[in-house]
Amino acid sequence: MKLEPETVEISVTGKPVQAKAGETIIHALWTAGMGDAIKTGCVGGGCGACTVTIRFKDGKPGGTDLACLRPVEEGMEVFPCPVESIPAVAPSLEPDVASLQAAFPTLNRCTKCGSCTTACPMTIPVMDSVLRMQEGRFDEVSDDFTTCIHCGLCRFVCEDKVKPHNMGLWVRRSQGLSRDNPSLDQSSLTESGDELEKEWSYLFTGDPKERLRRAKYFREHGRAGA
Amino acid sequence: MMDWAQDSLEKVALSRQARAEQPPPKLTDEESEALLNEFHPDYLGMERTVNVGPNAGTQKFPLELAELLESDSPVPQGFEPAIDITTDVLILGGGGAGAAAALTLAESGLNVHLATKLRLGDANTVMAEGGIQAALTDQDSTRRHFADSYVGGHGNNDPELLRVLCEYGPESILWLSRLGCLFDQNEDGTFRLRRGGGTSVPRVLACRDYTGLEIMRVLKDAVLLTPTKILENHSAVELLDDGEGQITGAVLWDRASGKLVSVSARAVILATGGSGQLRLQGFPTSNHLGATGDGLILAYRQGCQLIHTDSYQYHPSGSCYPEALAGQLVTESIRAIGAQVLNVHGERFIDEMITRDVLAGAIIKEVAQNRGVPTPTHRAGVWLDTPLIELINGEGTLRRQFPGIIHRFERYGIDPAKHPLLVYPTLHYQNGGIRIDAFGQTDLQGLWAAGEVTGGLHGTNRLMGNSLLDITVFGRRAAESVMEKIPERQEATLVGLKKFREGLHEIQHPSPRTAPLLFPVASKMKFQLSGEASGESTNEASEEKTQFREPPDPFGRRMG
Repeated sequence: MKLEPETVEISVTGKPVQAKAGETIIHALWTAGMGDAIKTGCVGGGCGACTVTIRFKDGKPGGTDLACLRPVEEGMEVFPCPVESIPAVAPSLEPDVASLQAAFPTLNRCTKCGSCTTACPMTIPVMDSVLRMQEGRFDEVSDDFTTCIHCGLCRFVCEDKVKPHNMGLWVRRSQGLSRDNPSLDQSSLTESGDELEKEWSYLFTGDPKERLRRAKYFREHGRAGA
Repeated sequence: MMDWAQDSLEKVALSRQARAEQPPPKLTDEESEALLNEFHPDYLGMERTVNVGPNAGTQKFPLELAELLESDSPVPQGFEPAIDITTDVLILGGGGAGAAAALTLAESGLNVHLATKLRLGDANTVMAEGGIQAALTDQDSTRRHFADSYVGGHGNNDPELLRVLCEYGPESILWLSRLGCLFDQNEDGTFRLRRGGGTSVPRVLACRDYTGLEIMRVLKDAVLLTPTKILENHSAVELLDDGEGQITGAVLWDRASGKLVSVSARAVILATGGSGQLRLQGFPTSNHLGATGDGLILAYRQGCQLIHTDSYQYHPSGSCYPEALAGQLVTESIRAIGAQVLNVHGERFIDEMITRDVLAGAIIKEVAQNRGVPTPTHRAGVWLDTPLIELINGEGTLRRQFPGIIHRFERYGIDPAKHPLLVYPTLHYQNGGIRIDAFGQTDLQGLWAAGEVTGGLHGTNRLMGNSLLDITVFGRRAAESVMEKIPERQEATLVGLKKFREGLHEIQHPSPRTAPLLFPVASKMKFQLSGEASGESTNEASEEKTQFREPPDPFGRRMG
């Protein structure tokens, strides 16, 4: 099956750009020689550099998105919306509502407008999560922000100067710092015994071909051969 | 959805229940080798030797990289570095390895600058999905981790480097956890471990399918709390040296001002990452915008040996539909928990947990022999039967454990829990790179390197979960070695570049490009100094003759 790709016209900062249907805004800009028009990082939806606002001539709802994931559509008007990062705030070994409030004094200023949730390109329930932060439900908050790429749009659109994604990271890091990791007890971190050196010496003996043979044996049996 | 493949999808759905029970097809070592030799892009001879530098005439490089190694510097003839910034340590690269090095140096009392082409954290690290390996269980050991990785790397690994990687695995997980990384846990609090291709026991820790993102955002936050000075949008375009083989700084290009910035440093750590954006043989890539192999070029010019740079990792499950996701990753973990790989007839043709290179070869073979699934966007791939995961592990498993995949495909109306995905290998990782010793030091005094830019550790095929461990272990290790051995400040000159340029004069047909490339050719973004007229600078040359499809199509040259 061979179909010729349809051409659509979008505009970026007012400049018309011809694009192939199905490609992303970033790739359309590359083809048009306008790659510098929108700040770009990973080109895979993971770094949050290419934040944009989108409008449609026909009044269809637009909003915010990542230009590297958003396919072009006829009549789409794209405006770069780079969000500068703000200074980091050290996490706490004893995370609770009081220490979060001390780290982020605007925690309780949220007026529940929901803009942050609408702005999030990762479909995180941002506003609900801010309310959970106010109640100290940190396990849920950490879960909410698992997919956060720190594009900063939730903070950018907040009229009340709440910093949802920064708080989300603070909660996650603080929980990470303070939780128990039974897999990392002393016995799993320190290996000892006669076997240890014997096994290394088994794996390091012989010409390259012999070593490969020994490594194959070891991975199959979990121990050195005779 | 995908009704253009209706017949094939029906076959997949019909055979699903029966396949769920079936053991994977087994390959002999000889069959694996045959798949590599006949179908893996590394083995097709698309490589050549170069005529300049330390590996001249002795080692083969992929054609795209060879051209860059024989290219001139973008630094104008006659430019003399007047030092703008003086620092103790200059880290080049803002991904995981650079950030780990910066954090380690934070308490050293040394003055540290970190320069990055994009922003701190805009790197391949954030796109690593599947996880990080470390031997943490009773049935596992650092030796078993070594054995798996050594076999996976075809025995071409530098065993000393690999031993360091495996031995520092558990301690690295502790370090990351103490910084606040949240790795997935089981009910009892122990880490949830998965298998990866080529691991003999479950050894891969993860944070859902966002493991690299979790590590990078934590490292970035931690670095921002140190006195490290971050120079964003500053690309390294040349290394400076003292005229006697010691590296003493770098020339950076400040993209915002269009000016060159000369930095004098006592030690330089190269953490510039990989080169997927060279798009070898027209393959799409899972790599970030800046992955153009800059560090290889800079170090090679100064005399560093490159090893295994003819070896690249083509990740078997790159997405090939919809078009907007072409080349992007579908994590290997999804195969680890049961997704099978199927051809157009709905038939399984390979063990999905075999090493990445063999699986990539097997998929390319199916497509080359017309057992692939053609897409309306002129690509072809094989099915990754994601609904099988739900059948095996229960409904909702995908959404709980792989929110990233759901999120990416959902916006195109594809629910991977109900609908198989189409995949084809994508250029993913630079297996080789700059030669280093077990402390991260290169062949040159004053120059260290860590992460994807280095070679040797992974041999000629890297196992899943070993690159996130690599950047953690060797980023820190290079920094520790710098603290121990940092030389006194020496003069910072372009003598090394001058010598390289003399060598270039000897070449019959030097490349018309300049290198480092800095941005993918397809992006048309360019090195440009302020004051230069737009469109008249370098890098025009080969564009005329190469028509790029974006993202590119690997069949462009191979099949009609």
